[in-house]
This record gives sequence, C-alpha cells and structure tokens, in this order.
Amino acid sequence: MSTQASTALEVLQRQLTQPLVASLEVCARCGICAESCHYFLSEPRLENVPAARGEALRRVYRAETDWLSRLLPGWTGAEKLTEEGLARLAEMAFTRCTLCRRCTFNCPMGVDTPLLMRAVRAMATASGAAPEILVMLADAAIEKGKNPEFFRDIFLDQMADLEKVLQEKVGDPHARITVEREGAQVLYVGLSGTHTILPPAILFHTAKEDWTLSIFEASNYGVFLADTGRAKQIAARIIEEAKRLHVKEVVLAECGHAYAAMRWDAPNWFGEPFPFRVTSLVEKIDEYLAAGRLRLNPQANFETVTYHDSCNMARNGGVIEEPRRILRAAAAKFVEMTPNRTEAYCCGGGGGLVALPDYAKLRLQAGKPKADQIRRTGAQVVVAACENCRLQLGDLNTHYNLGVRISALADLVVTALEPPRSQPPA
Amino acid sequence: MYTLLVSRATMLVGIAFAVAVLALRWRVTARLPLVREQAEPRGSAARGMIYAFTLGMAPWAKESTRRHSLSYARGIGFHLAIFLDLALLIASPWWSSWAGPVRIVLALGSGLGALLGAAGILMRRMEPNLRALSTFDDLLAVSLVTLFLAACAICLAWPPLLPMAYLVATIMFVYVPLGKIRHCLYFFFSRRFFGAFIGRRGAMHSTGSVGLAPREVSR
Repeated sequence: MSTQASTALEVLQRQLTQPLVASLEVCARCGICAESCHYFLSEPRLENVPAARGEALRRVYRAETDWLSRLLPGWTGAEKLTEEGLARLAEMAFTRCTLCRRCTFNCPMGVDTPLLMRAVRAMATASGAAPEILVMLADAAIEKGKNPEFFRDIFLDQMADLEKVLQEKVGDPHARITVEREGAQVLYVGLSGTHTILPPAILFHTAKEDWTLSIFEASNYGVFLADTGRAKQIAARIIEEAKRLHVKEVVLAECGHAYAAMRWDAPNWFGEPFPFRVTSLVEKIDEYLAAGRLRLNPQANFETVTYHDSCNMARNGGVIEEPRRILRAAAAKFVEMTPNRTEAYCCGGGGGLVALPDYAKLRLQAGKPKADQIRRTGAQVVVAACENCRLQLGDLNTHYNLGVRISALADLVVTALEPPRSQPPA
Repeated sequence: MYTLLVSRATMLVGIAFAVAVLALRWRVTARLPLVREQAEPRGSAARGMIYAFTLGMAPWAKESTRRHSLSYARGIGFHLAIFLDLALLIASPWWSSWAGPVRIVLALGSGLGALLGAAGILMRRMEPNLRALSTFDDLLAVSLVTLFLAACAICLAWPPLLPMAYLVATIMFVYVPLGKIRHCLYFFFSRRFFGAFIGRRGAMHSTGSVGLAPREVSR
C-alpha cells in the first residue's frame, strides 16, 4: 500500500466517531435520497446519488473493519484503498458534494452523507490529495493570523477612507469605523472587500451599536478541507481577538460556512464554550428590528424579492425565519422559492466549490435546479445571506440568463433604512 | 416432535448469536468518541430526537418520502411485518392452539409482508441505479427476511410446518449481525444523532414548502 493511501486510512481510523460509524453502517442503499441532491437533479446518473457517494467510502471502510468483507470482499463490495482510489474519492468529495445536508434531511435512516464526504476530505487533505487552491487559501489565512502587523497599517488606511464614505452615507461627521477597539460590545467580522463592511457599518451606526471591526476575515477555508487543525488556527485568530478586546458578542458577516464554523463547530474544536455570543449579521439585524432600533420603509425596495436559504445558514445553522422577517420589513413584495427553508436546494456553490475554477462547468450545471427555482418565482432580486452563494447565484444569473439582481440582506436593509427617530426607543 | 424441538433449539441458538454480536457491536460503537457539543443551542436536542423517531418518520415529513410515497409505504409495510412476525415467533409454540381465523389473518399479514419484500427485491433488480448500488449482501439480506416472512405466513396457516419457519429464522438470525440487516442496530444511533443535530440547531423539517406554487408573503 502506498504511503498516501496508508496516511488516508490512518485519518479515517482517527475519525471513526459514533456519528460517522452510524452513517457508514446504517445505509440500506434504498436510493430514496437520489432526487434530494441537486447534482442528481441536474444530471441523473449513479455517481450523483448520495448513497453511491457514501458507498464509495463504505467500500473502503468495510475492507478495513468488517471481517466478512475481508473474507469475501466481492460479497459486500469492499475495496482496498489505493492511490488511484483515493484520488477518485477526493475528487468526488470536493467537487460532487457541496456538504449541503439536503440528503441527510431526506434520508429515512438519517444517513449523514456530508459527514462521510468530510471524512474523505480530511483523508485527502492529510495525504496531499486535496485541491491545492483550497490548501493555499487556508494557509494564507493562517499566515495572516501569525503576522497581522504586516497588513494592519494598510487595513487601517482603508478603513479611514471607508469611514469618510460612511459619514457621507449616514450624514453624520461623527460616524466612526473603529478597528479592534477594546471594550466594545460587538466585534464585527467581515469578509474580504469593503462591500461586507460598509452596509453593516451603516446599520450599526443607525442602531447606535457599540461596535468595532475585526482586522480578520470570517471565512475559514480549513472547514472546506475538513482539516480541524487548520480550521482551528483560522478561527483562533478571531477568538483571541474577541477575548483580548473583551467584547460581549462576535457578529459574523453574511457568510454561511463562516457562521456554521464559528457558531457551531469552533466551540467543539476548542472543547469549551466561548465567553462571548456568536451571531450572524442576519440575526443581529432581526434583533434590531424587533427592538425598534432600525426603522425600514419597504417601499424603498419596490421590486419583487425572493430569498435563497444558504445551506449553512438554514439546514446547518437554524437561521431560517430571521431573514424572512427582515425581508418582510424591508421589501414591498417578497415571494418564497419552492421548496424553501430546510428543503431549499443548494445553489451548487457550497463546500468551497466556488473557489475551484477547474470545476466551474460542473458547478453551473449543478446549480440548474436553483436557477429554475429562481425563474419560477418571477422575482427581480435574489437575496442570499452567504457570500459564496451570492457568487454562485451571480454566475447562475449570467449562465442561465435569469435577469435578476443578486443582493446581500444588509444591502437591501440599508436601502430601506429610514432616518432614526429623534427620540430612540429605550 | 423431535424435529420441532431441535429446530426450535437451533433457532434459539441463532437468536442468541444475533443478540450477542449485536450487543457487542452496540458496546463497541457506544465506546467510540462522541463530540460533546459546546455551542449554545438554538433549540432542544431532546425535542429533535423525539421528532426524529416520531413525526420525522411520517411519510409527509420529507420531500423524498412524499415523492416516493409508494416505495416508502412498501418499506414501512415490510418492516411492520418483520416486527409482527418477530413478536409472533415468540408465541409460535402456541400457534396450533389459536383459532383458525386468527391464524389466517396473521398469515395474510405476514404474506403481505413477504410480497412487499419480494417487491423490494424486484425494484432492486429493475431500477438501474438501485441495481448498481446493490451488493450480494443486500440481495441476500432482503431475500432472507422475505423468506422468513413467507415461512411464517405458511406456518401460521399450517402449524405442522413450523420447523421450516424455525430453520429459515435461524439462517436469518445468524446473518443479522454479519450483513446489511445490522442496520437495525445503527438506525437508533443514526436517527438519534440526526435528531440531536436538528433539535440543537433549531433546524427541524419545514413541511409544506414543497409542491406549492411560489407564494407571495402577505405583509
């Protein structure tokens, strides 16, 4: 056996937790999951059936752990892992599954195929078979965390310029974008690019929030690699920053995987709950609206608006009704896609796929069910609370000629903002 | 009489083997690591687990089971017949003393289960993706259970043939922990983890969003 394959098998052995073993053992191969997968819907062939994807790992698992399979591999379809087999598994896990968990929700057994695909991703990453670009992106984020001084001055200059734009937008020369201010209540963590900083800054200012900005980005490519070591290092930058600043709450940009990672997974990686709350900007806006800290005029967004549920926000994160409450308050006409909420289709861009240019064609094809859904709504604006989804939806818009505008939730809320009352509510 | 006693004893050995190996598997699996959730929950894991084993199994709870309602009904019927026959097997020494009509009704139930099992085998052979997904293990597992149901049906109708049912049951029980039938054990693990996941994260199934026309939300 090659070193690469044996490394991958060691990683598989280390990952054999109760949920993983349950998902490896329980599948009855009934195939009822097929149509729950957007890949299968856009291209109905065997390798796009979630059960078939899971079976690819199960064959290896059986060859290693099941004595009947060792005795009669042909009987159970067991297969020894080879270098070529690992390459095939890796390509499948990174490009033919966006880890959306739609199949899990549709499986009568509750088989967590994305958990199996994560296991394969971890095996591939540890043995050097993961897509290089994802490894590079994760490592770049880790390096940034090690040497924040290298870019701090540039970032502060950028934010000083952005602060002027903010002051102009809100008509208040005292509006501020502070970076890493100690003692602030809220630490906002944006993404790469000011488009994820300015709209939240406007909302925080209007809601009179005591906030400051992180110098790091919320995205975590370690998650896509299923590499807990890397993911932990990337998350640690923000966690240490939040602890150092003594903030009460970390608010994450509209980013699905960053939310799922920081909100749900990171406390497990570190083995303890955080001394601060972790929320998404979506939840924060919803709270502001409920508390009357933001007032919106829905007529300002007069076009028909629909909402795309990011898999990481909805199925994996539980942020389902908040964006809907916001859209009802911010847009004159909001229509649902069908299906929606936990049954929503993945856009096809999740799991890090938008960062893999070699698979753009496959990604666009897998996004067809979502494109069809959007077309059926007749909406002019598609809102998504996830940056990767928005990138994919933008590509789908062009590829399938949908004629829609893709928007972040915060952008729509900013458009609908009304000036605060002179006497803000207590 | 001798055949009956020997076949019954053999079946008990088969059951003991199945129970022992499944118990061992349970123990080994339950000792594997399980991440202790640290994040503040959005909902109740317990509520999610209850849902996963009850309403979450309802035919209308999932898009897949709504879409494949016949296939799901077949599977549910097949499994109900298995549970029925396992219960009946315990009472098998007294079958011959039961009233004829009672045995016939139960035989019909078992027979229907066997037909549903046979339909499952046919589906596995006829549907291209299912055929490709299936292993010999799958076919043997469904065939053994189907034969068990059929044997129960026949013996309920004619109790003197009971040793035959015991023989089939013995083979089935021995195969339970070795092959695919052991999913009966992992089902409880898997649904529990799924339920805890959706419960904690507040992501319970949302029904009613499929099959409807795009809906304008009134403001």
